[in-house]
Amino acid sequence: MNNDYIEKVITELKARGASDISVSHDTIFVSVESDKLRSLVEYIHNELDCYFRTCGGCDERPINGFFALYHIFGDDKHGLNIVVKTYASSDDPKFPTIVDIVPAADWCEMEAHDLLGFEFTGRRQYRLVLPPNWPKGLYPLRKEVPYNIRPKPSTSGEQISKPTNIAAIPIGPYHPALHEPEYFELYIEGEKVVDVKYRGFHVHRGIEKLGETRMTYQQINFLAERICGICGFVHSTCYCQAVEKAARIDVPERALFIRSIVLEVERIHSHLLWVGVAAHLLGYDTGFMHTWRIREPVMVLAELLTGSRKTYGINLIGGVRRDIDESKKKKALEFLDIVEREFKTLADTLLSIPQIKKRLKETGILPKEDARKLSVVGPVARASGLDRDVRRDLPYAAYKYVDFNVPVYDEGDNMARLLVRVDEVFESIKILRQLLDQIPKGPIIAEDITIPEERMAVSLTEAPRGENVHFVITGRGKPYRWKVRAPSYQNIPALKIMLNGVQLADAPITIASIDPCFSCTDRILVIRDNGEKYWLKLTHPRGGSSCPRSL
Amino acid sequence: MSEKSLGKKLGLFKILIIAKKAGRVTRKYPFEKPLVTDEFRGKIEIDEKECIGCGACANACPPNALKLIKGENTFILQYFIGRCIYCWRCIDVCPTNAIKGTREFELATPDLNDLYESVVHDVIKCRECSKPIMTVKAKDYIISKVSVSENYIDLDPDCRKKHFLSSIEKRFSGGIE
Repeated sequence: MNNDYIEKVITELKARGASDISVSHDTIFVSVESDKLRSLVEYIHNELDCYFRTCGGCDERPINGFFALYHIFGDDKHGLNIVVKTYASSDDPKFPTIVDIVPAADWCEMEAHDLLGFEFTGRRQYRLVLPPNWPKGLYPLRKEVPYNIRPKPSTSGEQISKPTNIAAIPIGPYHPALHEPEYFELYIEGEKVVDVKYRGFHVHRGIEKLGETRMTYQQINFLAERICGICGFVHSTCYCQAVEKAARIDVPERALFIRSIVLEVERIHSHLLWVGVAAHLLGYDTGFMHTWRIREPVMVLAELLTGSRKTYGINLIGGVRRDIDESKKKKALEFLDIVEREFKTLADTLLSIPQIKKRLKETGILPKEDARKLSVVGPVARASGLDRDVRRDLPYAAYKYVDFNVPVYDEGDNMARLLVRVDEVFESIKILRQLLDQIPKGPIIAEDITIPEERMAVSLTEAPRGENVHFVITGRGKPYRWKVRAPSYQNIPALKIMLNGVQLADAPITIASIDPCFSCTDRILVIRDNGEKYWLKLTHPRGGSSCPRSL
Repeated sequence: MSEKSLGKKLGLFKILIIAKKAGRVTRKYPFEKPLVTDEFRGKIEIDEKECIGCGACANACPPNALKLIKGENTFILQYFIGRCIYCWRCIDVCPTNAIKGTREFELATPDLNDLYESVVHDVIKCRECSKPIMTVKAKDYIISKVSVSENYIDLDPDCRKKHFLSSIEKRFSGGIE
């Protein structure tokens, strides 16, 4: 890491009012007065060219008598995180909004508004995460609210659709491809989509509250793994990394290798699953069946390495619970050969079908500038020419020991997103061969773990869908604050640009092309509007008609 | 004609070769053995003889599938399979290796009661306030590990505190109240 660069950044931050500066690992923590927050954020986002990762509120009244808001930025080029903390008084938690500077902050500000009762001055505020009939003035993430509270529902004024002159096609609340609860309303003129309304959060499960109250440090690994049904191991790895970073625990190298191996196995299974679903959506069910047939050995391999086909349950703070012996290693290499050979043939066939090519090429385009503005992550970013991958930019687990390419395409269409994922399957196989070959000997879990209180850490992992963020403040026996941001959260807003003007028949594949994970996202929340720039808008979930300026 | 050049000519019909090679992959489960590997984590089994009712498993269990229900005369270790996530953390933490993992996963049943398993333990009570303290087996286990604990193990922690304080008091006051 570039220490001179960190020094330079710190001097600049100080000049803009930042205080309490500390550097830990790859993260710079600063505090700032709320009246200087906006100018500091403007500098970090625009001049340092940092991506916005997320923001999270915290009820710190029991510790210091204040509410606090943490804005997390990421400098991928220099492998840095910048966490900006702002305080507000306990009786009137008001913060200036940064949404006009950083459009990506819309959702997390509204999440803090819902869950902690924060007021954001200078923007329109609305309910987002909580169900519409949750009573007003009850803020579940405040420390005095018990985790198992069941308030009497208040009446809901929500209207899903309003009559308009344009035909509205509902998709959901069950997605035609991904079988998860979310609701799209596509407004069409003729066969063309002209507007989209999105309503999510049907499965907000309050897991952050659960983690901060009912669970212990080691139990949360298993809860975190259940954030997502497809890429759960990424979440549990991200959570234990955050705690390990905060508590400065040295994880044995062998454990890091095992984590990386399982993460890559998970990526292959996730991408193969997606390719199958994409083929199914394009009406090519033969391709779907064969992709999933090829995926089967990957699932068996996961079970062999971890004990379960999914929700592997082998992560603990300090290491992993299952070792990989020589016989498993041999079996893994055999399976990888089969998957590589078979998927190569199938992918070639799939990509040679004229109908598939036609459906994917030049549909659902996300231009590079828009992708950057929306800070999209993962294969969606890489298909739109953004060269970002946490595994390379801020290496974690054992990724610094392996060579791999990060496939980047500039077209930004559905085809590019398919190609990125197909390429990544082969890259993952390449990574797995190196990891299995280099895996060092030694223990797989650290002994005698102590986790001091009131330490902070930000941890990132590259999920099959993109960058995952977990933010942890340690507490006694359990985290004081645990904040999660899943990749689909960053990517769903890009849909409104992708769907702009597509044929209705191409809408399902376009929606599916970001590989959205609604369970992950809904545990946080959704909805964003990028101002007047685009005529196609994701409308506000409760407002009914298209909202001209929700931020 | 070789397979490769044939594939080239066939274009999108290459899928026929792929399908021919793969053959039938559907298995006749449940009419044949389950397809799980040796590493598979399934339902757990608690050995009543070995279990001492200490509650370590209930503390570690992430979804509360294992509970130590503390009554007046008995402590019951209850395992509810409906909540179990088969993580086997209980096996990791059990001090007497009373819990074993199995590969069983076909657990569907029309009767909810089939999903409960319980181990009932007798308890010892405090010799002063007669509150239940721990199971008889846990007491024996602790004494076998730390023999000096025999002197105070039948006291409730609160009563133990009182005893300790009064003995200090006696020492300083010379026994005069």
